Amino acid sequence: MGKNAELLPGTLDMLILKAVSLKPLHGYGILLRIRQISGDALEIPQGSLYPALYRLEHHDLIAAEWGQSENNRRAKYYTLTAAGRRRLRDETAGWNRLASAIAAALSTTSEEV
Amino acid sequence: MNTLKRFRSFFRVLTRRREFEEGMTEELRFHIEQYTDDLVRSGMSPEKAVRLARRELGSSINIKADCRQAFGVHLFDELRRQLSYAARLLRKSPGFTATALLTIAVCFGANLTIFAVIDSVLLRPLPFPEPGRLVTVFNTYPKAGVERDGSSLTNYYERRGHIPAFTSLAIYRYGTEIIGEPGSTERQQTMRVSPDFFSTLGLGPAIGRTFTDEETTSETDHVAILSDAFWRQRYNADPNLIGKRIRVNSVPRTVIGVLPPIFRFLSSDARVYLPLASRPEDRAPSRRHSGGNVIQMIARLQPDATLAQAQSEIDAQNAALEVDDPQAKMIADAGFRSVVISLHADHVAAIRPTLLLLQAGAMALLLIGAVNLINLLLVRASGRVKELAVRQALGASRGYVVSEVVVETTLLTLVGGLLGLAIGSGGIHLLRLLGADRLPLGSRIAFDARLASVALVAAIIMGIVFAVPIAGFNLRRHLGNALQSESRSGTSGRAAQILRHTFVVSQIALAFILLAGAGLLSLSLQRAMAVSPGFQSDHILTGQILLPWASYPDRTARLTFVESLTDKIGRMPGVLSAGAVNNVPFSGHSGKSAATVMGHVLRPGESPRGHYSYGVAGDYFRAMGFSLRAGRFLTAADSHRSERVCVVDEDFARYYWPNASALGQRLWEGSEAGKDAEAFTVVGVVGRTKQAGLTEEGAQGAVYYPYIFRTDDSFFVAVRTILPPESLELTLQNVVRKVDPDIPVSDLRPMETRIADSLVARRSPALLAGLFSGIALLLTAIGTYGVLSYAVAQRRREIGLRMALGAQPGHIRGQFLYLSLRLLAGGVLLGVIGAWLTGQAMRAVLFHVPAFHLAVLTGALCVMVLVSLAAGLLPSHRAARISPMDALAEE
Repeated sequence: MGKNAELLPGTLDMLILKAVSLKPLHGYGILLRIRQISGDALEIPQGSLYPALYRLEHHDLIAAEWGQSENNRRAKYYTLTAAGRRRLRDETAGWNRLASAIAAALSTTSEEV
Repeated sequence: MNTLKRFRSFFRVLTRRREFEEGMTEELRFHIEQYTDDLVRSGMSPEKAVRLARRELGSSINIKADCRQAFGVHLFDELRRQLSYAARLLRKSPGFTATALLTIAVCFGANLTIFAVIDSVLLRPLPFPEPGRLVTVFNTYPKAGVERDGSSLTNYYERRGHIPAFTSLAIYRYGTEIIGEPGSTERQQTMRVSPDFFSTLGLGPAIGRTFTDEETTSETDHVAILSDAFWRQRYNADPNLIGKRIRVNSVPRTVIGVLPPIFRFLSSDARVYLPLASRPEDRAPSRRHSGGNVIQMIARLQPDATLAQAQSEIDAQNAALEVDDPQAKMIADAGFRSVVISLHADHVAAIRPTLLLLQAGAMALLLIGAVNLINLLLVRASGRVKELAVRQALGASRGYVVSEVVVETTLLTLVGGLLGLAIGSGGIHLLRLLGADRLPLGSRIAFDARLASVALVAAIIMGIVFAVPIAGFNLRRHLGNALQSESRSGTSGRAAQILRHTFVVSQIALAFILLAGAGLLSLSLQRAMAVSPGFQSDHILTGQILLPWASYPDRTARLTFVESLTDKIGRMPGVLSAGAVNNVPFSGHSGKSAATVMGHVLRPGESPRGHYSYGVAGDYFRAMGFSLRAGRFLTAADSHRSERVCVVDEDFARYYWPNASALGQRLWEGSEAGKDAEAFTVVGVVGRTKQAGLTEEGAQGAVYYPYIFRTDDSFFVAVRTILPPESLELTLQNVVRKVDPDIPVSDLRPMETRIADSLVARRSPALLAGLFSGIALLLTAIGTYGVLSYAVAQRRREIGLRMALGAQPGHIRGQFLYLSLRLLAGGVLLGVIGAWLTGQAMRAVLFHVPAFHLAVLTGALCVMVLVSLAAGLLPSHRAARISPMDALAEE
């Protein structure tokens, strides 16, 4: 567990949007997908996944639809809406700006000051 | 942007709440099962896997609650919980709940009823595109006593295209015609309109075309446009009716169009529209001032033009045209002007003040009810102070306390509002019985979705307003005080008491104002009813008969018809005398026209006058019971003699010959002196009669000519009988049918009914105001009683103690009676001021009653004293009978 990074506040929504932007997924699938695309580095607290999904759905960023799972069970699948796609793009850009700014700040050496 | 969408999804969840919950459960179960499967596949034992999966997901109850919150559903749950709590509380105190609901229902219902009328008559726009641009133009000659004379054909042809502020201009006249084939004719309301009538309104035929300018002569006007209702009822909505012929006054006319269903011009119920045909001489400048209030003008303003602009253009044109008018001086002396005014406002102008007053009355009623309710709610809230204090101490937030109050009061007002809707719809029925559909635009009065939604919004607003003082009261309590105080009296604040007393005082004031207003209205009705119409109005049956020009083309033929009819009616059993006239008094339409008296020179500043002018046949004066002041009545023979004679009324005689006898004087019909041989000699003077209504003021004078000189489209028969007049209706119709089977009789009513109907605009408001003040008194009595009872209950211990120390019961009783009298005095003082202001506002609708009428106020005062004493007696009495032992033992 030690190699797992702490999830920053506000990043869960972004990760969910990213996960469902690749392909429609059910809740459990989203959990697995985030773990997979983060190279097992990010662990989502399972209890906060579903409230986040409901909030995103309520805000029309993702849409839900009942479908069949791989093992032929009824499951609720989430897809990205147009508004969700816009939000993901904005947040990704924002995140990248922040990350590079922080990275630049942290890599500063004493000579550069 | 997404608000609407989100609201919709939220709403969907509300309506499919079960699905939402089941979906959530299933989704979480799926998660656990998938996770368990994965764990088992990785080598864990199934039992351990299930346990781990459950633990990692966490408590499903918490997750679900979080999900609900995330979806905004929890608010709904909260609301539902508070609603059921409020409902439970209300059920627990049925007495309070019933009083509150009834109060809201009655006050709300009264307001809805009046608002329904205001909405359809005053507020709802006319059913035409951009109705605000529609205006009417009419001529007025105020100094000649003619306030309103419509417009003339000349006006129309002179103005058309010459007033830049108007995009278009049209004229119309109301009428009735006989429609249908011989043997199946019916009399229908019609309108004759100029070709641009429909384009001015902005709404033309749904199928077919409108009239053209070529169709405005009597040779070419054989076309007709039907209303949708008439087309459906009479012609079964035949789509091929266009081009076919129908008979109007037995002349065939081609149907060229059918109007859309929504077409309705003002209050007209016209079924058939015909071109307003005229001859070139009718349009000549000499006919400019011959409107006679028959033809009316409407116009549509340019989009950016104002009324003032149109008015100044009309004024300028009038001034330019009058320059070469030979009668210019006389016209100017008469104060001639053409008024431009909004079509809708003009149509409802007469009824507007009455409606607004009634709405104000209903609002006052609502205020009284609201005050009562707030008082009741406050009393209830003080009974629950401790419970609330405990709950607040246990962590109930201020928001929660407030929302709980709002939910409770809104629940009350909503349920009360629903009951009020029922009362309102009953009230609208009542108004119909009182003749509301005869008001201008009155047929639009309906109980519809628009009204219901206004009611709903109003109920919610009322609920929130009620909640404000209660929530304030609940929040202001000091927790510690409330928890420590042992008795109910410990919770009574001085401020709350003052508030309650102020409420009662304002209630009494409002009720007093309502009572005084109702008194003024009914006194004014009484005075109007006491006015004598000037003839013996009992035992007269009257009815209107339309005589088509096609079947009776000349005056002799028309006179023959009228005379043979009155002759036959006069010989019916039970009939004393029968006569005919162009227009009976109280028929609802009366026009004035000029007469020129031989030898009368207009004095400086004197203007020519309009007089009521009639042609009479048969034994009209005797049938109506006119009184003869001098000379003789006209007889049937006067229509056949070469010598021209007439009868005038005493107003006319007094005006022109104040110091001489009217008999033998001569006059001409119309505004110009004619040849000597055309002058009429006055042979009789009759008493003055009211023509337009009992409350009509001014002495305009009337001239009665032999019928042959004043034949018209239609005439009225007047029959004096020894029987109840209604019993003659059928026989009268039969007699008319015998003379000509194609001619129906309409508007058949006893004269006394006409007079009573003419007072409907006074009677109904007086009745409603009386009803309102009755309810107001009841509510005020309840309010006073409630506040005094509460005061007694609160001070039970104090009273007990004082009585134990020797106070007399009479003293205690007096103390509370004194309180109720103090409240009364305050209320009446404010009420008198309010009644004076109200009286000023009511001036327009009062008849021969001053705005400040001492007897009415005294009467109102007596009633208020009685009601207040009655309401105060019971609680005071109860206070005096408190047993000191019991009151003190309750501790």
